[in-house]
Amino acid sequence: MHKRTNLGLIASITILSVIGLMMIYSTADPTIFLKQSMWLVIAVSVAFIFSKISPRIWITLAPFLYFGIILLLFILLFTDGSYPKRWFRFGTIYIQPSEFAKFATILFLASFLAARRKLKRLSDIFIPLIIVTIPALLIFLEPDLGAAQIFFPILILMLYWAGLPGVKIFVFFSPIISAAASFSIYVWVAYFVALTVFLYFHKQLSDFVYGIVGNFLSGLIMPLVWNSLKTYQQQRIISFFSPWVDPRGMSWQIIQSKIAIGSGGIIGKGFLSGTQKKLEFLPEKHTDFIFSCLGEEFGLIGTTLTTIAFVYLFYRLLVLAKETKNRFASICISGILAWIGYQTCLNIGMTMGLLPITGVPLPFISYGGSSLLTCFMAIGLCLAISRSKFRY
Amino acid sequence: MDENVKKFRIIRNVIAVVFVIIILTSIRLQIIEGKKYYRLSEKNRIRQKYNPAPRGIVFDRNGIEIANTRPGFYVSAIQSIIDENTLNEITEILDIDEEMVREKFRLEENPFMPVKIAHDIPYKQLSIIEEKMDVLKGIEVGVEPLRNYPYGEVLCHVLGYVGEITNRELQGNIDYSINDYIGRMGLEESYENHLRGVDGIEYVEIDARGREVGKITEKRPTSIINGKDIYTTIDCALSESVAVYLGKYRKAACVCLDPRNGEIFVLYSKPGFDPNLFVHGLRKEEWQILNTTPEAPMYNRATMSCYPAGSTFKPFVALAALDSKMITEETCFAPCRGKYRLGRRIFKCWKAHGKRNLIGAIVHSCDIYFYQLGRFIGIDTMVSIAREVGFGKKTEIDIPNEKGGLLPDRKWFENRYGDNWTEGHVFNFSIGQGDLLVTPLQLACAFTVFANDGKICVPHIVKKEKHDYHTTAISKEAIATVKEALGEVVSSGTGTLARVKDYVVCGKTGTAQNPHGEDHSLFVGFAPIDNPRVLVCVFVENAGHGGSVAAPIAGKILKYWLNKNYTEQHAQKN
Repeated sequence: MHKRTNLGLIASITILSVIGLMMIYSTADPTIFLKQSMWLVIAVSVAFIFSKISPRIWITLAPFLYFGIILLLFILLFTDGSYPKRWFRFGTIYIQPSEFAKFATILFLASFLAARRKLKRLSDIFIPLIIVTIPALLIFLEPDLGAAQIFFPILILMLYWAGLPGVKIFVFFSPIISAAASFSIYVWVAYFVALTVFLYFHKQLSDFVYGIVGNFLSGLIMPLVWNSLKTYQQQRIISFFSPWVDPRGMSWQIIQSKIAIGSGGIIGKGFLSGTQKKLEFLPEKHTDFIFSCLGEEFGLIGTTLTTIAFVYLFYRLLVLAKETKNRFASICISGILAWIGYQTCLNIGMTMGLLPITGVPLPFISYGGSSLLTCFMAIGLCLAISRSKFRY
Repeated sequence: MDENVKKFRIIRNVIAVVFVIIILTSIRLQIIEGKKYYRLSEKNRIRQKYNPAPRGIVFDRNGIEIANTRPGFYVSAIQSIIDENTLNEITEILDIDEEMVREKFRLEENPFMPVKIAHDIPYKQLSIIEEKMDVLKGIEVGVEPLRNYPYGEVLCHVLGYVGEITNRELQGNIDYSINDYIGRMGLEESYENHLRGVDGIEYVEIDARGREVGKITEKRPTSIINGKDIYTTIDCALSESVAVYLGKYRKAACVCLDPRNGEIFVLYSKPGFDPNLFVHGLRKEEWQILNTTPEAPMYNRATMSCYPAGSTFKPFVALAALDSKMITEETCFAPCRGKYRLGRRIFKCWKAHGKRNLIGAIVHSCDIYFYQLGRFIGIDTMVSIAREVGFGKKTEIDIPNEKGGLLPDRKWFENRYGDNWTEGHVFNFSIGQGDLLVTPLQLACAFTVFANDGKICVPHIVKKEKHDYHTTAISKEAIATVKEALGEVVSSGTGTLARVKDYVVCGKTGTAQNPHGEDHSLFVGFAPIDNPRVLVCVFVENAGHGGSVAAPIAGKILKYWLNKNYTEQHAQKN
């Protein structure tokens, strides 16, 4: 328990970074590979610096970072530029503020939650919800639904880790389930009955009232709003939330991705020899679908090794969160775990056809400087926490 | 800190579950279904490139090509690459229906497979496309063998045509693909498998945009196998002449064959269509015109139209009477006064013939004689001979969609008219009117019984080593007697306009009553009387009397054939 550095963390991110570089070398042209290598050098340096900084400083910096990034997102949204408005461009270098927003929001939310020892009531969720909704909404408007949605799993896990009972979190967010279920009257009625029974045995009057009223209203309003929309508006919303339904009526990208992974077999087609990748059947092969190329070229061995590296990383983060006594630091790590973990599941699930296409990068592996840099910043922070006196 | 340990366990378990799901899905995709996905990835990258085989050539009896192949340019499009703008532009350049192109795309499951969207494009369009090739993404141009019919309309019903395969034809038919042509009607349809070759296949590696990246070496290409040729008995020069002879009539049919073996020289139906039009794909409007024209140009009148036989049926009634030995050639009935009363009905003859024997009745085509003869020998005797010579059933010619006509017998009359079935029906039947319906081809074949001394040939268009016959048990004397009378029809009777210098022509005129308009004119004849080598059946719709319209045309055809063969034989001798 007195190790100075967390070797587990370093080992797993080293493996993932190497896999990432190899796959980018395989899937993209040399200039992109060089760029990513450069980014990796920068990211590792930044992580090293972060690991030397006392974690305490982030409590002070958090509000500035948070409001700073919101200002940046505003500027991004209201300046003229190419559409979608996701990047700041400096020459050939693109910076994606949404990636940094995740990190800043985690820090700010952690500092907010750390200051409140007793989180027991539903109303305690209200301010944290606003804290994440502001950046999420701005990113949603870019538009980047994939990046925007990641804020909510982060919020939920951080609230849970900060001490709010899981039941409370469920009750608070249950009206969303009600709205989703309202598209079928039978599903909704079944859900509503089950919820009522659950809330009755839960024996908390305020939760009961909130749950019943909230679920009833959202279940009632959602169909009304939906039906008042014109058909083309409904179509637009459907196509916005389900980008995997492409105009030709087949989920081309998912099919090609599954073909790529599946055709790799056990040992894969060999490094640089993926035909799906080489002949451009795979879309977004060095960003969103890099895991598919990995599956094609390295087979089950490659996918399993990568998955193990990720899971080991998450486990180390989880253990670190548990062992860290400092409340701010511990909540911070839970947020980082939620962020990287959720994004990984979303990406791998998408390439395997388990989840819809949302266009989120695979942490540490997909091409993208901003994503890589922020991931490494987070890891730097974790290393700092791990070796600082916050840990006893 | 109990609280923290509990949360730790829950989150750890969630991570474990996610890990297991990912690994299991990997195993499913890469091991359990790995082979399937590998095949799919191979299918993705390997394109079978078809090199279309040219169809076999069709020759006429003199070795002239009546259907052959010429090169033509096609335009194909690859669905996965082509965008809306390109689609708009190419359909505009080619002046084709965009919806039709989309329909073709729907039929091709593989979005990387080029789909031919236009055939036989003219040089002008080709040069525009070549010019814009850089902008037109997903468009390819190539050369393919196209069907060509040098004689156009004249032989359209014999040959049929080739057209692009349709959705319905493609269903469940693994031998064809969307880019294929298929034979329709005529020889093109009945000899489809013979004429059609086997396309050569090359394997090329393509990228996701359908572009060729290189050749695949692990799969061997197959070479083109040309379609087999067909040698027919058609005489295209005579067919052309027939078209000229029938020039001024709107609707007509003509069958000309060798009564000795059933070789068809001419099978002509008017109006026709240009089979070359189908090669580049017909537009909707063109189809509309072809299908809605009242004259029905797609319809082969020689094998599909059912007409009353009219007086050309009389020789068979006479044959039935003589064969049954119920009368002799000298038998007379009540003389013809132009009218005949049967109960309350009056049956007319076209002329007052007076007293005639059987021969005279045939030569001058006296209806009243045949009314009485028909009644005398009875419906069953007539029907049995008519059946024997092939009425009421198909001739089994080697082109599709032939009709069998209608030969009403006692049972048929009873079913159709019940108690109302009277002798009046028998009267009409015995002069070939009323319910009896024949096709021109049937009539021509039936007449071979006279030309061939009792043998009826099976007509065919493709040359054969061995010829098929239907042999009949009709007495040779009866046949000879009627044949003699048929000779007199042309020499001194109703068919004198069919005479050919130096030859004795046998024949029979007919006027098929048409309740919808002018009567149909028909003539069936063969020559020379001894050992006939050509038989012709001419049918002209709404043209009036057989003797005045069809007979002279038949005469010209017979003359053409007899003289031509004479000079040919003469030339051979020298």
